[in-house]
Amino acid sequence: MNTQDTIPMSGFAMPQSAASPLKPLGLGLLVAIAYFIGVPLLFGGNGYVLNVTTTMAVVSFISFGVWLTFAIGRINLAQAGFALIGSYVTAILVSRFGVSFWLCLPLSGLVAAIIGGLIGWPVLRLKGVYFAMITLCITEACRLTALSFPAVTRGAQGIVDLPLPGELSLFGLTLIPAFEKGARLPFFYLAGSLLMLGLWFMWLLDTSRVGAVFRSLRQNEDLAVSLGINIAKYRVVAFMVSCFYAGVGGAFFAALQQNVYPTSFQVIDSVYFMVYCFVGGLEFVIGPLVGALVMMVSFELLHELQRYQTVIFSGLMILCILLMPNGILSVLKARAARAKEASDA
Amino acid sequence: MTQVLLNALVVGTTYALIALGITIIFSIMKVVNFAHGQLYMIGGFVVYYFNVVFGLPFWFGLLMSFVIVGALGIAMELFLFRPVMLRVKREEVTMLLAMGTAVFLESLALIVFGEKQRGVPPIATGIVELFGARLPTGRVVVIVVAALLIVALMLFIGYTKTGRALRAMAQDRDATALQGVNLKWLSAMGFGLGTGLAGLAGGLLVAIFAVHTGAGTAVSIKAFLMIMIGGAGVLSGAILGGFVLGVLESVGYALLPGSMTFLIIFLIVIGFLIVRPHGIMGKPWG
Amino acid sequence: MKSSGIKVTLLVRALALATTAGTFALISLAQANETLKIGALGVMSGPFAGWGGVMCQTSKTRAAMWNDDGGVAIGDKTYNIEVVCVDDKGDPKGAQTGAEKLVSEGIKYIQGPNTDSTAESAKAVMEANGTINMPYAFSKSLYKAPASQSILGMVASYQVGPVIYKWLMDNKGIKKIAFVCENNADPLNQRNEGTAAAKTLGLEVVSDQETYESGTTDFFPVLTKVIGTSPDHIVLSGVNPSDVGPLIKAARELGFTGTMSTETGQDPRAIFEVAGEAANGFIVAGGASTEAIRSDFMVKFIERYTKDWGEWNDVAGLYVYGPEIIVQTLQSTPKALDDTEAFKAALDSFVGKNPFLKEGGELKYVGRQDYGQSRQVSVPIVVQAVKDGAYEPLFVGKLPD
Repeated sequence: MNTQDTIPMSGFAMPQSAASPLKPLGLGLLVAIAYFIGVPLLFGGNGYVLNVTTTMAVVSFISFGVWLTFAIGRINLAQAGFALIGSYVTAILVSRFGVSFWLCLPLSGLVAAIIGGLIGWPVLRLKGVYFAMITLCITEACRLTALSFPAVTRGAQGIVDLPLPGELSLFGLTLIPAFEKGARLPFFYLAGSLLMLGLWFMWLLDTSRVGAVFRSLRQNEDLAVSLGINIAKYRVVAFMVSCFYAGVGGAFFAALQQNVYPTSFQVIDSVYFMVYCFVGGLEFVIGPLVGALVMMVSFELLHELQRYQTVIFSGLMILCILLMPNGILSVLKARAARAKEASDA
Repeated sequence: MTQVLLNALVVGTTYALIALGITIIFSIMKVVNFAHGQLYMIGGFVVYYFNVVFGLPFWFGLLMSFVIVGALGIAMELFLFRPVMLRVKREEVTMLLAMGTAVFLESLALIVFGEKQRGVPPIATGIVELFGARLPTGRVVVIVVAALLIVALMLFIGYTKTGRALRAMAQDRDATALQGVNLKWLSAMGFGLGTGLAGLAGGLLVAIFAVHTGAGTAVSIKAFLMIMIGGAGVLSGAILGGFVLGVLESVGYALLPGSMTFLIIFLIVIGFLIVRPHGIMGKPWG
Repeated sequence: MKSSGIKVTLLVRALALATTAGTFALISLAQANETLKIGALGVMSGPFAGWGGVMCQTSKTRAAMWNDDGGVAIGDKTYNIEVVCVDDKGDPKGAQTGAEKLVSEGIKYIQGPNTDSTAESAKAVMEANGTINMPYAFSKSLYKAPASQSILGMVASYQVGPVIYKWLMDNKGIKKIAFVCENNADPLNQRNEGTAAAKTLGLEVVSDQETYESGTTDFFPVLTKVIGTSPDHIVLSGVNPSDVGPLIKAARELGFTGTMSTETGQDPRAIFEVAGEAANGFIVAGGASTEAIRSDFMVKFIERYTKDWGEWNDVAGLYVYGPEIIVQTLQSTPKALDDTEAFKAALDSFVGKNPFLKEGGELKYVGRQDYGQSRQVSVPIVVQAVKDGAYEPLFVGKLPD
């Protein structure tokens, strides 16, 4: 083992924020400036870039949940299933009961979290590949449920022509104006706000005592039990938070695409949410964002290769895992640490 | 009802063959090979090319599907999984690597083999009537061959020196190494055996079904269901899991509306794993 | 052999490219052709890669033929056609991103997407940007007002289904009909529409609840139950090309002797290869490339497609209508090059020529009966039966205006 690997592995012993050379607050600010000011300034008129960025932001938001389940030592492939649940909650409430999208957004997360808690309580006892495979089954089961109960979900016909988010006002004061047809910036800013809120909360969680407990669950559950930690409770909480992220993200996509189908989120989405966490680096809160950014942008850039696009893309993904098995950020971090050593000496 | 049970027997046998390869790799390497379905698909195309395009006998094509896909597996072990496993301890990484390989193989296959589904001329014609149920002769041949292959594999694992070494490695890598067994050679060989079986299953089943480049993922998901039911990493569990899924599927389709069948199978499997986390035959593992 | 075929194809394409470049350089000295970009957005990877992949290849081949002939004259200029293909991976998120990408390149006319969920997601972008697209999906809300930007590029299953059932009732005397399909959005919708149509015609629907999962290898279990209801005819609704052969084979092996059909385009050779003689008599509504009815131009197109991509796929005979009618409409309304409103205004009155049928005929926009506005390409309804790896036409019908 070389130094490159030992450093991120020591995340358990040292509080993340102290060990990390990437200053979290400054970094968060940088992301926010780049997103809210940089992108609109440079590409404000380009719907394509805005759409890629919007999608990337919310996809990484959903992936934060997967990242959190990784933090407790579980490989979560159910995220697409819970995103689908979120999409359906919003779609049904908006189309059938005329509920405001702004209420549906958190509500979708809540419903997904509650269902996640109910399923998670027994399922989280499983570990390793068993957990990975059972969560894969959950994603499939969600798709099949959406297909099998047309009275509620409209089944195969999907729920289409959802209205755009309306105005959000409090005591007559307009907080968010109604989204206009064809306007891309509102969705772009909403996605960015979700991303920043999601990132901020993950960072709070990770640096708090709860975060330390989560990590201890991954490292050694028996030890955690012997320390008197109610591991079942913590596991379920982590999983519910993860499902909340999925539900909110799913609700966002239902509004962005103005429709939901049983195929809107599938197993392959679950896989990609996981891939984003890895490519970025599992030891870093911001990992899913970096992973999604790198992967989605490179897929778009490879478009010129036409029918070789997917083959080259997956080839690069394999190469990425081979050369940087701990993610892009771990390589950067190791490099920074080496530079620091050199300057100290 | 005889037809339903006969269907279950055929489906179960083919499923068992599919589940064996993924189980071997899991037991010796602790890797869940997400690319299993894609390797199965390539096995089918190998047979198609030898049999239909080059005009060689089906059985030769079948042999080649084992050899070629097995060799592919050895290459995967040597150049992908080994270097990564040496560097990282987290099991998730190998899983991700297998997923990447699955996407890669599938998109490459699409370019090389094209988008159409392929089949080979029937290996046997005619239909056997059994208690009022119909069983095409081709299917009889295929399940007999599949059963023979399964028995041969069990004998190989149980009674040959290499087979015993593989079993020992599955139980305890370090102890096996102390016995003077060359682990490097053995794990490459085990990986090749597992993928070769995937190729063999694809190659054999193309005789009665058909193959197309997108078939892999669904096969992989079914293979996961089987090893979860039977217990990951136990050969007898894989066979049992294959048959249980075959029975569930055949009986389910006969009794339930089609769209509910797999939803209920998924729910049964989830419920079952909660009660028995390591499958029917599995051992507690990480 | 396919792999060497690909190498040769690549070589040919490289040469063709070099030649085109050379010719282009020569022409540009005299008179520069402008470029007209057309998009193709669809699923080109994953299990359903067959749909969008063939669509993209078809459009590229048709464009290459135009360009070899010196381009297309629209108004007082001549244009070379460039096809930009975008893979949406069958993912609604990808479809939206892909649509935005094509729009950002200034493309106004797009072929695809291929499924309901991707087409619905792309719709938001099309409507917002005034881009015209031609989906191969049957969801009616794509073509009915207030939607106005999407034009159905093929015959919908609910249009051709009744025609086939009626013909079977009159000619084969069928009374009992069964439906079986994959447990997935598009096929389930088509099954529901088919069942309703069959009931309207007075057929007895004996089985319409049986489905199988995507990726099923063995169809014995599901078909056992369907055939147990002793239907005269089985419809495979919205069937994925990869499942047709195995389904027919399994049905015959289970002793089913009635007729079978599907309403989506299929490749006869691929079906025959898998199902063998059991495939004979299988009824398909689809492409217009059947030997008995195709024009010399269609033969030329088939040759060119085979040269470009290694192997002919019958579904390409349907997709080729897309770029054809778009370009013909633009020729009749040059203003539509930058203004899709002009294009939409022309839809009602446009009448072009169908170059793909031996007997010629009109090429126009229909669909007023089903969608209340002309948002469908008048692809001929060609109902044909598989015969030893090829098609023999049963009858040719027309879409209602």
